[in-house]
Amino acid sequence: MIDIQNVSKSYGDIPILQDCSLSVKRGEVVVICGPSGSGKSTLIKCVNGLEPYQSGSIKVAGTEVGARHTNLPRLRAKIGMVFQSFELYPHLSVLDNVMLAQIHVLRRSRDEARERAMALLTRVGLAERAHRMPVDLSGGQQQRVAIARTLALDPDAMLLDEPTSALDPEMVSEVLDVITALARDGMTMMVVTHEMGFARRVADRVIFMDQGRVLEDAPKDAFFAAPRSPRAREFLARILAH
Amino acid sequence: MPSVLVANSHFFAAGLLATLQISAISILCGTAIGVVVALLRYLRVPVVARVCALYVELMQGAPLLVVLLFCYFALPALLAYKTSAYWASVLSFSIFIGAYLSEDIRSGLRSVNPKLIQAGLASGLTYLQVLRLIVLPIGIRTVIPPIIGQYVRLIKFTSVASIINVQELTGNALLVNARVFEPALILSFVAIVYLVVCQAMSLFGRWLTARFAVRT
Amino acid sequence: MHRDLIVSGFITTVELASISLVLATILGVVIGTCGATGARGPRVFALGWVELIRSIPLLIHMYIWYMALAMLRLPAFACATLALSIYSSAYVAEVVRAGILGLPAGQAKAGLACGLTEFQTLRLIVYPQVVRRILPSLASVFSQLIKDSSLASVIAVTDITYQAGALDGLTFRTFEVYAMTLVLYLVLVSIVNRLLGMLVGASIRSSTHASTAKPSKELRDA
Repeated sequence: MIDIQNVSKSYGDIPILQDCSLSVKRGEVVVICGPSGSGKSTLIKCVNGLEPYQSGSIKVAGTEVGARHTNLPRLRAKIGMVFQSFELYPHLSVLDNVMLAQIHVLRRSRDEARERAMALLTRVGLAERAHRMPVDLSGGQQQRVAIARTLALDPDAMLLDEPTSALDPEMVSEVLDVITALARDGMTMMVVTHEMGFARRVADRVIFMDQGRVLEDAPKDAFFAAPRSPRAREFLARILAH
Repeated sequence: MPSVLVANSHFFAAGLLATLQISAISILCGTAIGVVVALLRYLRVPVVARVCALYVELMQGAPLLVVLLFCYFALPALLAYKTSAYWASVLSFSIFIGAYLSEDIRSGLRSVNPKLIQAGLASGLTYLQVLRLIVLPIGIRTVIPPIIGQYVRLIKFTSVASIINVQELTGNALLVNARVFEPALILSFVAIVYLVVCQAMSLFGRWLTARFAVRT
Repeated sequence: MHRDLIVSGFITTVELASISLVLATILGVVIGTCGATGARGPRVFALGWVELIRSIPLLIHMYIWYMALAMLRLPAFACATLALSIYSSAYVAEVVRAGILGLPAGQAKAGLACGLTEFQTLRLIVYPQVVRRILPSLASVFSQLIKDSSLASVIAVTDITYQAGALDGLTFRTFEVYAMTLVLYLVLVSIVNRLLGMLVGASIRSSTHASTAKPSKELRDA
């Protein structure tokens, strides 16, 4: 479904991604982990064209992301993205946040959009906050709304960029529960995260990145039992020591 | 109520009405200019953005009176058209305040978190839609206080139109004074009227901010 | 002859703006400081006064001094100077007030704790720091003052704008005269902005220099 081949990217002289390749099959959940600055967030932002890349190819459902003639808005409507800092539109209510893209991208009617939005907000457990403003919600609640907002477009896949890193510890589990439920329902996902417990439960495969390179790409059990590269072993040891 | 004021109340009323009209039209036109110029500069449209930047610099370095005289005397002379003092005033006020407004609006647009723009793009909106639905609404609502401040300035500026004999509040007051010669009374009265109008606009601005400010 | 008119107009504008600037600054610092004090009386007075002055158009200020207070028999230049000074002082006061209130409260308290009087605290601790912070805002008030000075032409002060009108009447080269007037003001304002910009830059450099200064030898060896 998502096919990344030999992608390289740099800002001027500074290499950010170096020859990265990986694939995500439909229905697969792939977790990407690694130290800060390893390029994980940049890589998933390349998948939906938010970040340009200089060489290589990324195909989403057959469409080449970097091609000049690709209709990026249409492509992005099929891939949802959840950000570390939630990025709910502060001038719109929770309900309007979830409705906005439905109306303006999918061209649904207001009523249909509202119905879908309420259903999704119920699914993430926030229906009674529908008319509040984002600033009145806790971080965990905002992130759940962000997930609902992404689901509103019925995406084929989702990209999650450290969805719980900005949350207070008590709120992490409420968000991970929602994401776990999505995975169980068969959503194709690329998740950048430090939450190894979550990865163990939910991931099909684990990718380890360091300094812009993909160093490990293994099924979950293989990765956690015996990572092959020394950097990955180091990283796991430090993370799991907490 | 002093008899002079009462006897000439229709003059003052007519003058105040004209002041409010000129202010309203100039505010509308000036805001339109401000939004357009701010957008053109924000989007860095080649060539046009540079021209807009020069326009803003020009208006910010020039006294309003000189811009007014330019629009009333110099432009018609150069381009060979006739204009009334009223419309020359509206034109000069609009382009003058438009430049200042564009700076405030532009800073509002730039204050919108780029990650919000990314979030909008990531959901499949085109850049134009992101501008229309996210950047503009948030950007403008962020700078309501400075914008209202410019509107208050404009209301005070309209008094300058009296110099080219536009019959707004100041102009009419001076006409009345020329007849009855009570400058202290008349000018105090006029000062109070301006004060009330400016305070009303400020109060409106405070209400607008309370109602529409984007809380983050 | 034409050049003389322009030059004399320019000089008048510079004189008017300079004197008004000094007066506006003095008055503005006083009023601004009052607006920042804890004492209710001076503060309320200062705030109200600033609102009042700022809500009245400058032109009305000029007319008030020129016409309503004509019994004082002040020449037009003095009227313009007074009107411009008082009007601009309200803006200076706002900037000064914001600057003082923006200073961490501990600064003033530290001064008082050392035994300084309130005035000494102001003079030695508060003002020097506030001045550096508010220089950019003051710069914009000053350049606005130069532009506002053009209104003096209405009460027959022979500044740049007045002479422009005279020149137009003499030569009928309307467009050139007013274009040149615009340019003159632009040049004047940009010179002042540049000078003030250098002043701001110098004060920033001097303040960072001070903060990286090492403690004196005597203190270290004490």
